[in-house]
Amino acid sequence: MKKIAVLALEAVQPGMKVAEAVLDDGGRVLVPAGAEVSTSMLTSLARREVASITVEHEVEEDPAQREAQRMALTARLDELFRKAGDGPETRTLYEAVLAHRLENPK
Amino acid sequence: MTALSRDQVLARLKQLPSLPSAVSDLLASFGNEDVDVEQISRQIARDQGLTARVLRVANSSFYGLQSRVGTINEAVVVLGFRAVRSMVMAVGMNGVFRVDQCRGFDAQAYLRHGVGVGLASRALAPLAGQNPELAFTGGLLHDIGQLVLASNFSAQYSAVLDYRNKHDCLLVVAERDILGMDHAEVGGMLAATWHFPDSLCQAVAEHHSPASALADSLANVVHIADAFAHALELSGSSTELAMAVDRTAWARLGLDGDKCRKVLGETEHCFEDTYQVLKV
Repeated sequence: MKKIAVLALEAVQPGMKVAEAVLDDGGRVLVPAGAEVSTSMLTSLARREVASITVEHEVEEDPAQREAQRMALTARLDELFRKAGDGPETRTLYEAVLAHRLENPK
Repeated sequence: MTALSRDQVLARLKQLPSLPSAVSDLLASFGNEDVDVEQISRQIARDQGLTARVLRVANSSFYGLQSRVGTINEAVVVLGFRAVRSMVMAVGMNGVFRVDQCRGFDAQAYLRHGVGVGLASRALAPLAGQNPELAFTGGLLHDIGQLVLASNFSAQYSAVLDYRNKHDCLLVVAERDILGMDHAEVGGMLAATWHFPDSLCQAVAEHHSPASALADSLANVVHIADAFAHALELSGSSTELAMAVDRTAWARLGLDGDKCRKVLGETEHCFEDTYQVLKV
Protein backbone atom coordinates (compact mmCIF):
# COMPACT_ATOMS: atom_id res chain seq x y z
CA MET A 1 0.00 0.00 0.00
CA LYS A 2 1.28 3.47 -0.88
CA LYS A 3 1.46 5.94 1.96
CA ILE A 4 2.28 9.65 2.01
CA ALA A 5 4.34 10.75 5.01
CA VAL A 6 6.63 13.52 6.20
CA LEU A 7 9.98 11.85 6.82
CA ALA A 8 13.19 13.17 8.36
CA LEU A 9 15.78 13.53 5.59
CA GLU A 10 17.89 10.70 7.08
CA ALA A 11 14.93 8.31 6.73
CA VAL A 12 14.28 9.14 3.06
CA GLN A 13 15.54 6.47 0.65
CA PRO A 14 16.51 6.88 -3.01
CA GLY A 15 13.67 5.66 -5.23
CA MET A 16 10.88 7.15 -3.10
CA LYS A 17 8.65 9.74 -4.80
CA VAL A 18 8.49 13.36 -3.58
CA ALA A 19 4.81 13.99 -2.74
CA GLU A 20 4.95 17.75 -2.08
CA ALA A 21 7.30 20.27 -3.68
CA VAL A 22 10.25 21.25 -1.47
CA LEU A 23 10.57 25.06 -1.26
CA ASP A 24 13.32 27.31 0.08
CA ASP A 25 12.65 30.21 2.47
CA GLY A 26 11.89 32.50 -0.47
CA GLY A 27 9.24 30.14 -1.79
CA ARG A 28 11.38 28.93 -4.74
CA VAL A 29 10.96 25.30 -5.75
CA LEU A 30 14.03 23.19 -4.90
CA VAL A 31 12.43 19.87 -5.85
CA PRO A 32 9.08 19.61 -7.66
CA ALA A 33 6.32 17.23 -6.52
CA GLY A 34 6.49 13.90 -8.34
CA ALA A 35 10.30 13.78 -8.61
CA GLU A 36 12.09 10.53 -7.72
CA VAL A 37 14.48 10.81 -4.78
CA SER A 38 18.16 10.34 -5.74
CA THR A 39 21.35 10.28 -3.67
CA SER A 40 22.49 13.59 -5.16
CA MET A 41 19.13 15.17 -4.31
CA LEU A 42 19.49 14.07 -0.66
CA THR A 43 23.02 15.49 -0.50
CA SER A 44 21.87 18.79 -1.97
CA LEU A 45 18.88 19.06 0.44
CA ALA A 46 21.12 18.21 3.43
CA ARG A 47 23.50 20.99 2.35
CA ARG A 48 20.57 23.41 2.40
CA GLU A 49 19.65 22.15 5.89
CA VAL A 50 16.24 20.83 4.85
CA ALA A 51 15.19 18.69 7.84
CA SER A 52 12.26 16.73 6.38
CA ILE A 53 10.32 16.25 3.15
CA THR A 54 6.98 14.70 2.20
CA VAL A 55 7.33 11.47 0.25
CA GLU A 56 5.19 8.64 -1.05
CA HIS A 57 6.43 5.20 -0.13
CA GLU A 58 5.34 1.60 0.05
CA VAL A 59 4.39 0.19 3.44
CA GLU A 60 3.61 -3.40 4.31
CA GLU A 61 -0.02 -3.87 5.17
CA ASP A 62 -1.20 -6.10 7.99
CA PRO A 63 -4.65 -7.52 7.02
CA ALA A 64 -5.69 -8.06 10.64
CA GLN A 65 -4.80 -4.53 11.57
CA ARG A 66 -6.68 -3.14 8.59
CA GLU A 67 -9.78 -5.16 9.46
CA ALA A 68 -9.66 -3.89 13.05
CA GLN A 69 -9.36 -0.35 11.73
CA ARG A 70 -12.36 -0.87 9.45
CA MET A 71 -14.46 -2.24 12.34
CA ALA A 72 -13.61 0.74 14.55
CA LEU A 73 -14.39 3.21 11.77
CA THR A 74 -17.68 1.51 10.92
CA ALA A 75 -18.75 1.64 14.56
CA ARG A 76 -17.97 5.37 14.72
CA LEU A 77 -19.75 6.12 11.43
CA ASP A 78 -22.83 4.12 12.47
CA GLU A 79 -23.01 6.29 15.58
CA LEU A 80 -22.49 9.49 13.56
CA PHE A 81 -25.09 8.56 10.90
CA ARG A 82 -27.71 7.29 13.41
CA LYS A 83 -30.20 10.03 12.45
CA ALA A 84 -29.35 10.25 8.76
CA GLY A 85 -31.70 7.53 7.47
CA ASP A 86 -30.80 4.96 4.82
CA GLY A 87 -31.39 6.83 1.54
CA PRO A 88 -29.06 5.59 -1.23
CA GLU A 89 -27.32 8.99 -1.55
CA THR A 90 -26.66 9.12 2.19
CA ARG A 91 -25.30 5.55 2.08
CA THR A 92 -22.99 6.51 -0.81
CA LEU A 93 -21.67 9.37 1.32
CA TYR A 94 -21.21 6.97 4.26
CA GLU A 95 -19.19 4.56 2.10
CA ALA A 96 -17.12 7.42 0.65
CA VAL A 97 -16.27 8.69 4.14
CA LEU A 98 -15.33 5.16 5.24
CA ALA A 99 -13.01 4.73 2.23
CA HIS A 100 -11.56 8.22 2.79
CA ARG A 101 -10.89 7.53 6.49
CA LEU A 102 -9.23 4.19 5.77
CA GLU A 103 -6.75 6.02 3.54
CA ASN A 104 -6.53 9.16 5.71
CA PRO A 105 -6.86 8.26 9.40
CA LYS A 106 -7.63 11.19 11.71
CA MET B 1 -43.41 29.75 26.06
CA THR B 2 -40.28 29.94 23.94
CA ALA B 3 -41.74 30.10 20.41
CA LEU B 4 -40.59 33.05 18.34
CA SER B 5 -42.47 35.02 15.73
CA ARG B 6 -41.01 36.48 12.55
CA ASP B 7 -41.92 39.95 13.82
CA GLN B 8 -39.88 39.43 16.99
CA VAL B 9 -36.88 38.34 14.93
CA LEU B 10 -37.26 41.21 12.45
CA ALA B 11 -37.42 43.73 15.30
CA ARG B 12 -34.07 42.43 16.61
CA LEU B 13 -32.48 42.37 13.19
CA LYS B 14 -33.24 46.08 12.81
CA GLN B 15 -31.25 46.77 15.98
CA LEU B 16 -28.09 44.97 14.87
CA PRO B 17 -24.93 47.03 14.57
CA SER B 18 -24.15 47.94 10.99
CA LEU B 19 -21.53 46.06 9.02
CA PRO B 20 -18.09 47.57 8.37
CA SER B 21 -18.61 50.01 5.49
CA ALA B 22 -16.20 48.11 3.22
CA VAL B 23 -18.33 45.00 3.67
CA SER B 24 -21.63 46.74 2.89
CA ASP B 25 -20.07 48.36 -0.20
CA LEU B 26 -18.89 44.97 -1.36
CA LEU B 27 -22.37 43.54 -0.83
CA ALA B 28 -23.73 46.30 -3.04
CA SER B 29 -21.14 45.45 -5.70
CA PHE B 30 -22.65 41.99 -6.36
CA GLY B 31 -24.60 42.26 -9.59
CA ASN B 32 -23.04 45.62 -10.42
CA GLU B 33 -20.80 45.26 -13.46
CA ASP B 34 -19.44 48.82 -13.22
CA VAL B 35 -17.91 48.29 -9.80
CA ASP B 36 -14.91 50.54 -9.07
CA VAL B 37 -12.39 47.96 -7.90
CA GLU B 38 -9.72 50.51 -6.99
CA GLN B 39 -12.07 52.56 -4.87
CA ILE B 40 -13.29 49.49 -2.98
CA SER B 41 -9.70 48.25 -2.48
CA ARG B 42 -8.78 51.62 -0.95
CA GLN B 43 -11.78 51.39 1.33
CA ILE B 44 -10.86 47.90 2.54
CA ALA B 45 -7.28 49.07 3.07
CA ARG B 46 -8.48 51.85 5.41
CA ASP B 47 -9.94 49.21 7.76
CA GLN B 48 -6.73 47.88 9.28
CA GLY B 49 -8.25 44.99 11.22
CA LEU B 50 -10.10 43.77 8.16
CA THR B 51 -7.01 44.18 5.95
CA ALA B 52 -4.83 42.18 8.32
CA ARG B 53 -7.29 39.31 8.43
CA VAL B 54 -7.81 39.29 4.66
CA LEU B 55 -4.04 39.19 4.07
CA ARG B 56 -3.66 36.31 6.53
CA VAL B 57 -6.17 34.29 4.55
CA ALA B 58 -4.60 35.32 1.23
CA ASN B 59 -1.19 34.10 2.42
CA SER B 60 -2.42 30.84 3.95
CA SER B 61 -2.42 27.45 2.24
CA PHE B 62 -6.03 28.21 1.29
CA TYR B 63 -4.63 29.76 -1.89
CA GLY B 64 -1.21 28.12 -1.92
CA LEU B 65 0.51 31.18 -3.42
CA GLN B 66 4.20 30.91 -4.29
CA SER B 67 4.96 34.36 -2.88
CA ARG B 68 3.35 36.54 -0.25
CA VAL B 69 0.93 39.40 -0.92
CA GLY B 70 1.40 42.44 1.32
CA THR B 71 -1.45 44.78 0.38
CA ILE B 72 -5.10 44.57 -0.61
CA ASN B 73 -4.16 45.86 -4.07
CA GLU B 74 -1.67 43.04 -4.55
CA ALA B 75 -4.25 40.54 -3.35
CA VAL B 76 -6.74 41.85 -5.94
CA VAL B 77 -4.11 41.61 -8.70
CA VAL B 78 -2.94 38.12 -7.74
CA LEU B 79 -6.20 36.49 -6.63
CA GLY B 80 -8.78 38.58 -8.48
CA PHE B 81 -11.44 40.91 -7.21
CA ARG B 82 -14.07 38.21 -6.74
CA ALA B 83 -11.81 36.16 -4.48
CA VAL B 84 -10.93 39.18 -2.34
CA ARG B 85 -14.57 40.22 -2.19
CA SER B 86 -15.59 36.79 -0.90
CA MET B 87 -12.82 36.86 1.66
CA VAL B 88 -13.77 40.29 2.97
CA MET B 89 -17.39 39.19 3.21
CA ALA B 90 -16.37 36.09 5.11
CA VAL B 91 -14.08 37.74 7.65
CA GLY B 92 -16.12 40.96 7.88
CA MET B 93 -19.16 39.16 9.29
CA ASN B 94 -17.19 37.68 12.16
CA GLY B 95 -17.38 39.67 15.34
CA VAL B 96 -20.79 41.27 14.71
CA PHE B 97 -22.55 38.78 16.99
CA ARG B 98 -21.87 38.20 20.68
CA VAL B 99 -22.80 34.65 21.54
CA ASP B 100 -21.09 34.27 24.91
CA GLN B 101 -24.41 34.84 26.73
CA CYS B 102 -25.91 31.73 25.18
CA ARG B 103 -25.29 28.78 27.51
CA GLY B 104 -24.37 25.67 25.57
CA PHE B 105 -23.57 27.43 22.28
CA ASP B 106 -20.16 26.28 21.06
CA ALA B 107 -18.72 29.19 19.04
CA GLN B 108 -15.58 27.26 18.13
CA ALA B 109 -17.56 24.32 16.76
CA TYR B 110 -19.73 26.80 14.84
CA LEU B 111 -16.74 28.33 13.07
CA ARG B 112 -15.02 25.00 12.46
CA HIS B 113 -18.17 23.64 10.84
CA GLY B 114 -18.61 26.84 8.78
CA VAL B 115 -15.03 26.61 7.47
CA GLY B 116 -15.60 22.93 6.59
CA VAL B 117 -18.81 23.72 4.70
CA GLY B 118 -17.06 26.63 2.96
CA LEU B 119 -14.21 24.42 1.76
CA ALA B 120 -16.57 21.62 0.69
CA SER B 121 -18.75 24.16 -1.14
CA ARG B 122 -15.68 25.51 -2.92
CA ALA B 123 -14.69 21.98 -3.99
CA LEU B 124 -18.26 21.15 -5.13
CA ALA B 125 -18.87 24.46 -6.95
CA PRO B 126 -17.50 23.37 -10.38
CA LEU B 127 -19.96 20.44 -10.42
CA ALA B 128 -22.80 22.97 -10.27
CA GLY B 129 -21.25 25.62 -12.52
CA GLN B 130 -20.92 27.94 -9.52
CA ASN B 131 -18.16 30.41 -8.72
CA PRO B 132 -15.91 28.67 -6.13
CA GLU B 133 -15.19 31.85 -4.15
CA LEU B 134 -18.85 32.74 -3.83
CA ALA B 135 -19.58 29.14 -2.87
CA PHE B 136 -16.94 29.34 -0.12
CA THR B 137 -18.57 32.48 1.29
CA GLY B 138 -22.01 30.86 1.12
CA GLY B 139 -20.73 27.80 2.95
CA LEU B 140 -18.92 29.80 5.60
CA LEU B 141 -22.01 31.89 6.34
CA HIS B 142 -24.72 29.26 5.83
CA ASP B 143 -25.57 28.86 9.53
CA ILE B 144 -25.46 32.59 10.33
CA GLY B 145 -29.06 32.31 11.56
CA GLN B 146 -27.68 30.35 14.54
CA LEU B 147 -25.58 33.39 15.49
CA VAL B 148 -28.64 35.65 15.27
CA LEU B 149 -30.57 33.30 17.56
CA ALA B 150 -27.74 32.64 20.03
CA SER B 151 -26.91 36.36 20.37
CA ASN B 152 -30.42 37.85 20.38
CA PHE B 153 -32.54 35.10 21.92
CA SER B 154 -29.93 33.43 24.07
CA ALA B 155 -32.26 31.94 26.72
CA GLN B 156 -34.57 30.45 24.10
CA TYR B 157 -31.63 29.13 22.11
CA SER B 158 -30.14 27.51 25.20
CA ALA B 159 -33.48 25.73 25.59
CA VAL B 160 -33.14 24.53 21.97
CA LEU B 161 -29.66 23.14 22.67
CA ASP B 162 -30.89 21.39 25.84
CA TYR B 163 -33.78 19.90 23.89
CA ARG B 164 -31.43 18.63 21.18
CA ASN B 165 -29.22 16.93 23.76
CA LYS B 166 -32.17 15.44 25.63
CA HIS B 167 -33.92 14.09 22.52
CA ASP B 168 -30.78 13.23 20.52
CA CYS B 169 -32.14 14.98 17.41
CA LEU B 170 -30.81 17.24 14.68
CA LEU B 171 -30.50 20.92 15.58
CA VAL B 172 -33.10 22.03 13.00
CA VAL B 173 -35.63 19.63 14.51
CA ALA B 174 -35.01 21.05 17.99
CA GLU B 175 -35.31 24.60 16.66
CA ARG B 176 -38.63 23.90 14.95
CA ASP B 177 -40.03 22.09 18.01
CA ILE B 178 -39.01 24.79 20.49
CA LEU B 179 -38.99 28.04 18.50
CA GLY B 180 -41.41 27.22 15.71
CA MET B 181 -38.77 28.34 13.21
CA ASP B 182 -35.24 27.28 12.29
CA HIS B 183 -31.84 28.90 11.75
CA ALA B 184 -32.16 28.73 7.96
CA GLU B 185 -35.32 30.85 8.01
CA VAL B 186 -33.77 33.32 10.46
CA GLY B 187 -30.55 33.42 8.42
CA GLY B 188 -32.61 34.18 5.32
CA MET B 189 -34.23 37.11 7.14
CA LEU B 190 -30.80 38.44 8.12
CA ALA B 191 -29.49 37.99 4.57
CA ALA B 192 -32.42 40.02 3.26
CA THR B 193 -31.97 42.72 5.95
CA TRP B 194 -28.28 43.07 5.09
CA HIS B 195 -29.00 42.97 1.34
CA PHE B 196 -26.93 39.88 0.60
CA PRO B 197 -26.88 39.03 -3.12
CA ASP B 198 -29.65 36.61 -4.14
CA SER B 199 -27.30 33.64 -4.49
CA LEU B 200 -26.11 33.98 -0.87
CA CYS B 201 -29.66 34.63 0.40
CA GLN B 202 -30.76 31.35 -1.17
CA ALA B 203 -27.75 29.45 0.16
CA VAL B 204 -28.49 30.63 3.70
CA ALA B 205 -32.28 30.35 3.62
CA GLU B 206 -32.67 27.08 1.71
CA HIS B 207 -29.71 24.92 2.67
CA HIS B 208 -32.01 22.58 4.61
CA SER B 209 -34.65 22.49 1.84
CA PRO B 210 -32.71 22.49 -1.43
CA ALA B 211 -35.38 20.52 -3.31
CA SER B 212 -37.62 23.59 -3.23
CA ALA B 213 -34.75 25.86 -4.36
CA LEU B 214 -34.00 26.53 -8.03
CA ALA B 215 -32.01 23.83 -9.86
CA ASP B 216 -29.01 26.17 -10.24
CA SER B 217 -29.27 27.61 -6.71
CA LEU B 218 -26.17 27.76 -4.50
CA ALA B 219 -28.43 26.16 -1.84
CA ASN B 220 -27.87 22.76 -3.55
CA VAL B 221 -24.10 23.06 -3.22
CA VAL B 222 -24.22 24.28 0.38
CA HIS B 223 -26.66 21.55 1.42
CA ILE B 224 -24.38 18.80 0.12
CA ALA B 225 -21.33 20.54 1.60
CA ASP B 226 -23.13 20.70 4.95
CA ALA B 227 -23.67 16.93 4.87
CA PHE B 228 -20.00 16.36 3.92
CA ALA B 229 -18.64 18.57 6.72
CA HIS B 230 -20.82 16.80 9.31
CA ALA B 231 -19.76 13.40 7.96
CA LEU B 232 -16.09 14.43 8.32
CA GLU B 233 -16.79 15.59 11.92
CA LEU B 234 -15.00 18.88 11.27
CA SER B 235 -16.81 20.79 14.05
CA GLY B 236 -14.89 18.82 16.65
CA SER B 237 -18.05 18.79 18.79
CA SER B 238 -19.23 15.73 20.69
CA THR B 239 -22.78 16.48 19.47
CA GLU B 240 -21.86 16.16 15.78
CA LEU B 241 -24.53 14.29 13.79
CA ALA B 242 -24.51 13.33 10.13
CA MET B 243 -27.59 14.51 8.23
CA ALA B 244 -29.57 12.90 5.42
CA VAL B 245 -28.51 13.98 1.94
CA ASP B 246 -31.29 15.46 -0.18
CA ARG B 247 -31.79 13.34 -3.30
CA THR B 248 -32.70 16.27 -5.57
CA ALA B 249 -29.62 18.32 -4.64
CA TRP B 250 -27.44 15.22 -5.07
CA ALA B 251 -28.82 14.58 -8.57
CA ARG B 252 -28.44 18.24 -9.55
CA LEU B 253 -24.72 18.03 -8.78
CA GLY B 254 -24.39 14.68 -10.55
CA LEU B 255 -22.62 13.16 -7.54
CA ASP B 256 -21.28 9.62 -7.20
CA GLY B 257 -18.92 7.82 -4.81
CA ASP B 258 -15.70 8.80 -6.63
CA LYS B 259 -16.62 12.48 -6.79
CA CYS B 260 -17.54 12.35 -3.09
CA ARG B 261 -14.15 10.96 -2.13
CA LYS B 262 -12.34 13.60 -4.16
CA VAL B 263 -14.31 16.42 -2.52
CA LEU B 264 -13.85 14.89 0.96
CA GLY B 265 -10.07 14.85 0.39
CA GLU B 266 -9.97 18.42 -0.91
CA THR B 267 -12.10 19.63 1.99
CA GLU B 268 -9.92 18.08 4.64
CA HIS B 269 -6.64 18.99 2.94
CA CYS B 270 -6.51 22.67 3.89
CA PHE B 271 -9.09 22.59 6.69
CA GLU B 272 -6.89 23.15 9.75
CA ASP B 273 -4.87 25.89 8.10
CA THR B 274 -7.96 27.77 6.88
CA TYR B 275 -9.62 27.44 10.29
CA GLN B 276 -6.53 28.82 12.03
CA VAL B 277 -6.40 31.95 9.85
CA LEU B 278 -10.15 32.63 10.11
CA LYS B 279 -10.57 32.05 13.83
CA VAL B 280 -9.13 35.33 15.10
